[in-house]
This record gives sequence, structure tokens and C-alpha cells, in this order.
Amino acid sequence: MVAQATAIQSHTVTSKSRGSLTRLHAKEARMGALLVVPTVCGIVVFTAGPIVASFALSLFRWNVINHPAFIGLQNYRALIHDSVVLHAFMTTALMAGLIVTLQIGLGLGLAIVVERRSKRLRKIYRAAFFFPLMTSAASISIVMTYMFDDHFGVVNYYLSLLHLPDVSWLGSTVGSVATIVLVVVWQQVGFTFILFVAALGNVPQELVEAAAVDGASGFQRFRTVILAMISPTILFAATVGVINSLQIFDQAYIMTSGGPGDATNTVVMQLYEAGFENLKFGYASAISVFLFIAVLALTALQFRLSRRWVYYSGMEGT
Amino acid sequence: MAAGLLAATPGTAFAQKTRAVQYARSLSSTAELVIAIFGSEVSSSLKELAGDFSKVYPGVTVKLVPYPAADWNGFFAKVLTQLAAGVQIDSVTVATEGVQLFASEGLALPLDSYVMKDKAALTNYFDDVHPVLVEAMMYQGSLFLLPTDFNAGNLYYDTSLFEKAGIERPADNWTQEDFVNIVKHWTNQKAVGWDWVVRLWGSWTSWMYANDANLLTEGRWPGGSWLWKNFYPSSMAHSDSGGWRWGAPTANDPAVVEALQFMFELQKQGIAPSPDVGGGTELQGLFASNKIATTIGGGFWAGGLHAAGMGPSSFDVQFFPAWKVQKHLFGTAGYAILKQSKNPDAAWEFLKYITSANSISLLVGAKAGNVSTPTRRSMLTAAAYADTGPKHWQVFYDTLDKFPNTAPIPASPYYEALDTAFIQRTTQALSGGNAKSALDGLQSDLEKLYK
Repeated sequence: MVAQATAIQSHTVTSKSRGSLTRLHAKEARMGALLVVPTVCGIVVFTAGPIVASFALSLFRWNVINHPAFIGLQNYRALIHDSVVLHAFMTTALMAGLIVTLQIGLGLGLAIVVERRSKRLRKIYRAAFFFPLMTSAASISIVMTYMFDDHFGVVNYYLSLLHLPDVSWLGSTVGSVATIVLVVVWQQVGFTFILFVAALGNVPQELVEAAAVDGASGFQRFRTVILAMISPTILFAATVGVINSLQIFDQAYIMTSGGPGDATNTVVMQLYEAGFENLKFGYASAISVFLFIAVLALTALQFRLSRRWVYYSGMEGT
Repeated sequence: MAAGLLAATPGTAFAQKTRAVQYARSLSSTAELVIAIFGSEVSSSLKELAGDFSKVYPGVTVKLVPYPAADWNGFFAKVLTQLAAGVQIDSVTVATEGVQLFASEGLALPLDSYVMKDKAALTNYFDDVHPVLVEAMMYQGSLFLLPTDFNAGNLYYDTSLFEKAGIERPADNWTQEDFVNIVKHWTNQKAVGWDWVVRLWGSWTSWMYANDANLLTEGRWPGGSWLWKNFYPSSMAHSDSGGWRWGAPTANDPAVVEALQFMFELQKQGIAPSPDVGGGTELQGLFASNKIATTIGGGFWAGGLHAAGMGPSSFDVQFFPAWKVQKHLFGTAGYAILKQSKNPDAAWEFLKYITSANSISLLVGAKAGNVSTPTRRSMLTAAAYADTGPKHWQVFYDTLDKFPNTAPIPASPYYEALDTAFIQRTTQALSGGNAKSALDGLQSDLEKLYK
């Protein structure tokens, strides 16, 4: 009986405790929801809302002056047959591939070299490489346009001092693509550099030392141990890099206006031209939806492929 | 009674001021006119003009809003975006590049009824403005702007470079061959014989006009007789013109290809460098640094070169050389009233106000530093160009008087897309070296737009 009473009492206490706990959790949940509401509102109004509006607008013909007219999928049908826009997608994909490859390669290389320097020098280099990232792409593009000008640019001037011929940086098809890729990489390599500095710092030294003890050369230690350990960072840098470089606009617009011809004409430039120059906002929205789908598909592909080469420590045995 | 009689007489200054005061009283007491202007800032002379207007019309405040852009294309894109966002704009500067766009899309208000209502007040203005400039501001028989300034594509030359090379000023009727013989003097030199920028106004297009060709078929809209009969009764050339009607594309016409190919020849011979794309600021800078012997420029170069430090006798201007014909292109500008304006009557009074000689001088003329060429013939005087140069300033208006074939740039209603295609195909030709192939592409682009 005593045991029963104790059991009932303990059950009652447990029920009461559970009830208090539930009320406490509910209260915390409400508070948490309340604190998150401003951020969610911001995302809905400034991000999700415009995305949905863009999807909707792509089904209309609207030139800003007259009322929008519903035309269904006509914009998408026109887009599939628009060789200029499709060419812009190819150009953008080429530039994105070059930019991401260079950013990761250069960022990792710089991180490895800089981390071997003294502490004081490391701080200076980190600041130096990160600094361009804090400057606006438009300002950099304006300055670079003058620096790479075919006639009075500083780059060709120094080439002439070395008795080298002038290079048509912005006036030739290959030169203009290369120059824009260079400028983008120069500005954004600081981001991948910082990522890899942090990632290299988190590589367990005992693993590297163990590999050394087992007779692995420097390159083998890098390839089999360090690369594996920083592979999640490489995936992150590649994913962010692809998303950003597929949306390249400032540099191409300011430095070459998409030229010469359409050599550096990017998707976002086509989008801008369709909307703000040709007043075809429905068509411009259709281009943006296509770009969104392309970015989504590439990101999904990257994550899918990452299962084969990305190593997450702590996943042993799973 | 005398005052009343004076007020009733159309042309007197007193009458105009009285009407202005009467009109100002009839306007809303707090009318605000928002005027969109092309530029990164409002000049002091423009502020002065706005202030003067507000003194005459105390009920109206003029708010000048600058829209910076590299070219007219960019400016129109910004203005149109603002209009789409519901921003109130009553009037906007519009050049030839945008007249047909604004008119055809129903953005600009036709001025016909306003012009006829104030016929007496505007007679002096139309008497002083060449009809070809007014015609360029018409579309389908209606007038949309009162042009305040213009720029024809004349040829500027560096007098010091010419003097060093022992070359005299070219004759008025000089030819393309004379031009080549002159610019050859600067083959593979530090200074170049000829330079240009890739743009629709004043690039290889000037050579295209001289070769009697165009990107689009030239035509005229019917109508407009209301204006010609009342203001230009003796101008037979324009008596049945309702404005320029740009027809089917002719971008790969042999004469057009020949004009672009001519630019490549000059480059190959080391007379001209590969041109930049843009509004021409760098070109002006290079010219002012004595790096260019000849180039295309309009009246706006007078002020631009003066501001860049060139003395009035350091440069001069001549008609563009003849090729098959001696034909010049030009552009003109003014202010349009937007249909969405809540104060169209006040906006009209502003448009009328700025057509006076003093207003145009403040806007673009001598008082503004000769930043463009006034459309009023009487304002082009030796005194007006004494500070800036050039010595032969008469060339600016003589281009209209002596060459009746002077025509505006081919700015059709789809100008923005045309300009983009033009720049793209020109740069394609420059990088690939094949004018025919690039212009075949341009023809195809324009045919899609023309449909």
C-alpha cells in the first residue's frame, strides 16, 4: 500500500513535472518563434516574395507602361529559341568554370604558402588578400577597365617597358573573357583563401604525422590526408563559387558591355537588357527562372557527386 | 486702360509677363514640377533657370532631379524604371534617341494643342529654329518637344598638330580622299590621325551617312501640316512631314559595309587605333592632350574641350568630308511632358519658358559653357564662342543651312535595342575584322526588332 501510494505519489510528481516541463517548453517555443518572426518577415518580403513574384511575372507580357497581359508559357517558348540568351548561358558557364577552378586552386595554394610564414606575416597576408573582397565590384571594374585599356592602360604600358607587344585585353574575344575572369578571381580569391586557412588549421596534425611516419611523401600527405580533411570546405567553396559566378554581371557590364560582339555577354546581362532596356519584364523574369533552375540543378548535382569524394570526419562506420 | 491694351497685344514682354502672372494665379498654389535631367548633378545655371521660372510663376516649384548614366540608353532605362515604380515625374529631357520611344509608347504628351494655343508667343522661337530640328521632334504628325539644343557630326581637328604637319584648314567641300591624304601624316605616330568611339551618334555612322547609306530606310510620317503652315509656310522641304519614319533595316547594304570597312583600313594603315565603346569622355581627353589629329564632334565639344583645358584656338571645326554625298547626321534634345504628369499646364509653361534665348543660354549655351549647340540660330555668335572656341563656330548651324540632306540619327521607337545591337555588332566586327559578317548579323537583329 505504501509502495502503491509512493508509486501514485511519484507518478503524480512525474506527471506534474512533465506538465511543467511541457509548459516551459511551450513558453520557450513561443518566445523562440517570436524572436524569429522579424527575420522570417524579412525573408518573406525581400527574398521569397520577389522570387514568387518573378515566377508569376514570367507568365505575363509587361513593358512597364501598359498593364501586364497573361501569356502563359510564351516567354519560355521564346527563350528556348533565343540563340542570344542560350549563348549567354554557355558563356556564363565557361566563365563560371574558370572562375571557380582558379578561385579554389589559387585560394588553397595561397593558404598553404601563407600558413608556413611567421605569425606576423600571416596577419599581413590575410588582410591583404581579403581586402579586395570588401571593395565594390563596380569600383574595381571601373579601375580595371582603365588599367587594361588597349591604348593607354597601365598593364600594356608595363608590357611595352619589357619590350613585349600590347595585348588586346578587352578588345579581343579570348582577351576579354580572360580579363574578366582574372578580375573576378582577383577580387574574390580572398574568400576562398580565408576558408582554406581555417580548414587547414583544423586538420588534425596527428593524422599528418602518422602518414609521415608511414613513409608518405609531402605530396602524398597532402593528397590523401589534407585534401580529404578539407574536402567539405572545398565543396562549400565550389558550391558558393558556382552560385556567385553564374550571376556575374558588374564586371562584364562595366568593362566590356558584353563585348566584343557577345563574347562576354552573361545571363544576368541578358536579363538586365531584356527588362530595363527592352522593357520586356515578363521575358526577363523567364530568364531569371531559367537561371534559378540552372543554379539549383548544378548545386544538387554538386551535392550528389560530393558523396563520392567529400569526407566528413565522424562518419566512420556509417 | 493702357495697361489692359498692352496686355492684350500678343508679342510684348509686358503682355507675356501679365499672362504669366494671370496664369500663375490660375495654377494650384502648391504645384511642384518634377523634371528629370540627364546628368550626375544639377548645374548652377540650370538651378538659376529654375529659380527664375519660379519667380515668374510663384505658384510653381521646379524640382530638378539628375539621373546619371553613361549614355541616353542608360538614362531612359532609369527614368522608365522610376515611372514603373510610380515615381512622379512631370517632364524629362529627351534627345532624338528617345523621342520616338516616348512618343510611340504613349509616355509623352503631344504638344500640338499647346503650341497652337500659344502660337503668338512661339512664333519668335520657330522663326529662329531650323525646321529640320523641329521635324526631328515630331512623330506621326504631332510635335512632342520644343528642341533646345542640337549637335551635328562635324569634324574637329587639332590646330597645333595640323600646324606642325604643315597642313592648312580643309576646304568646305573636302572629300574622303582629302581626309585620307591629311590623316596619313600621322601614320604610326604618337598622335593618331583619326580616332572615334563606338556609338550610334558620331562614329563610323558619320561615314555611313557620307556614303549615302543608313541602318534603316529613311521615310516620313504624313501629317504635321498644322505646324508647317503656321510656323514654316515657306519651308517646302518639310511641308508634308509628320516626323521621321524609320523603315526596314538596311544594315548590310554594300555602302554601309564599305563605311565600316573604311574604319578597318585606317586601323590597318596605323592611322587610327581600335576604338573604345562609350560616350566619348576619354576621346575628348585624348584630343585635349593632343593625341588625336581629327575626330567627330558636335557643338558640345566646344565646351568639353574648353573644360579639358584647350584654348579657343587650339582646335577648330569643319564640315564632315564628302564621300558619295556630303551628308551629316545630327541629334537634338529638349524637354517632353509626360502623360502621367499631374501638372501638364505648368509643365507646358516651363517648356515655353526654356525656349527663350536667355534660358537656352543658361541650359546649354554660352552661360552654361557651350555644353551643346543652341537651336536658336541667333544665339550662335562670335561673342558666344569667344571664350571656348572654335574659331569657325559658324560650321555648327551652317551644317543645317548649307546641307539640306542633314538627317537625324536613325533613332526608331526600338532605339534601345537597336543601339545595343549596333554596339555589339560593331565590336564583333572590330575584334573579328569582318565587317560584312558582323553587319549581316546586325541586319538580322534589326529585322527581328522591326517586325
